[in-house]
Amino acid sequence: MAIGIGGAGSKLALQLDPNATIVNVSETELNKLEAGRKILAVVHAARGQLRGSRKNPQIGRDAFLSVKRELLSLIRGEVVFSSTGGGTGNGILSGMLGELAELDDVSPADKAMFALILPCAKLEPAEYVNNTALFLLDAVSDAIDSGNTGNIMLFSNTLKFDSRLCEAEYNRMIIESLKVFLAVPDKGDRMDLIEGHIDYEDFALYCSRPYFNHFTYFEYDPEEDVGKQIEKNVNPLLLPPESPIEALFLLEMPPEQDSTCYYNILNHFVGLNVTPVHSVVCNPKRKRPFLTVSLLYSRKPAELVEDFNRISEEHARAKVRKSLEQHVPLARLEVNLQDEAKQAAKQTGTEETEILGLLRRIGKI
Amino acid sequence: MSNLFSEQVSRLKESHFLALYWCAQAEDKHCKYNITNCFDDLKAIGITRTKQNAMAVVEALDALRFIDVRDEGNRKNLYITSHGARALETLVLERAFALRKSSFLEGN
Repeated sequence: MAIGIGGAGSKLALQLDPNATIVNVSETELNKLEAGRKILAVVHAARGQLRGSRKNPQIGRDAFLSVKRELLSLIRGEVVFSSTGGGTGNGILSGMLGELAELDDVSPADKAMFALILPCAKLEPAEYVNNTALFLLDAVSDAIDSGNTGNIMLFSNTLKFDSRLCEAEYNRMIIESLKVFLAVPDKGDRMDLIEGHIDYEDFALYCSRPYFNHFTYFEYDPEEDVGKQIEKNVNPLLLPPESPIEALFLLEMPPEQDSTCYYNILNHFVGLNVTPVHSVVCNPKRKRPFLTVSLLYSRKPAELVEDFNRISEEHARAKVRKSLEQHVPLARLEVNLQDEAKQAAKQTGTEETEILGLLRRIGKI
Repeated sequence: MSNLFSEQVSRLKESHFLALYWCAQAEDKHCKYNITNCFDDLKAIGITRTKQNAMAVVEALDALRFIDVRDEGNRKNLYITSHGARALETLVLERAFALRKSSFLEGN
């Protein structure tokens, strides 16, 4: 079951699972969507809760308190979707991650996976970027340090803005992509195993690791270097990965093709000091080998924030530059009536002609 | 115009300029303009409060040969010289100072 928090999170969760639970602080927003379960987080508004959190994470954090116990028991072993830019998702999730960080020990089966949608720093409002930066620095950082979360997937809106995609289409792409990764144990079950095995327990254990998860999939060419292929085929929906700490891959081979090419992949990971969880299956529908690979990496949230800060700083600088360029200094107008009168008299030439005329009359010049 | 003359003219102050102008104006109006009138006018404008200062102005102009100070009866009347006229002309053309009215000559 999926859990969607806030507007963006809810839409994504419902794409993955129409019976998802959605959480929002606005009744209006909840009523717009059909979901398995709807939870209204209470903000104690005197006139009813028809307004959202207006991009203010504090409202989300306050509202989280009203649904804390319910949410913490709901998310066990589930996937939680949320955006990090707005108020509801960011606020409720900050509260939730804060609570998780406080817990002593969470069993791997109870750890939740988090799919976070980060804003496109270049094109989305500065509020979103600031909210995200604070969220990453504070809540995500603490949660990762505590080790009480499962995988965290950092989806980025950058591709959406760069490719000018509509939101529904982009959400669909994210979910389709996620489904490929989540289908790994299922494929291992359904298809003929050639090497290794990733069963549901292995997969759940992998998903319960408290690292960032970057997964991607592509048609694998046994002749080419694996590292280069992964680099070339990084998932554009996710933030690019760092050097992996753990890895998982599933290689789907067409029938009657040599499956030993998977040793190349193993060797690649051994070179990185990583021993991947892996499985090779036979998929008769494939014409060429197909590789689904996931890398777990730990990037300090501070570094992620650096990126956001850098972009938003560039933005802010450009804005300041622009406003300076548009600033037209106006000369201060100082009017001295005496000077003005003198000037006027000079222009008409009265004084001058009068005195010179006078001197001529008396025969001195 | 010699260098000395232009330097002399460049040192003249507003009070000198006005004294020269009023002398010329008085001559135009066929009036006698004396040191006391000059002091009264400078005082009315607020340039000076003491007769000594007015005297200093007149004596400086006299020393430069820009005006003539003539003893006539018991009055010292002032007359502009041709040098003084040229000095006044220069100041006017340079637009160095603004004109002020003499209350003695224009009676207000």
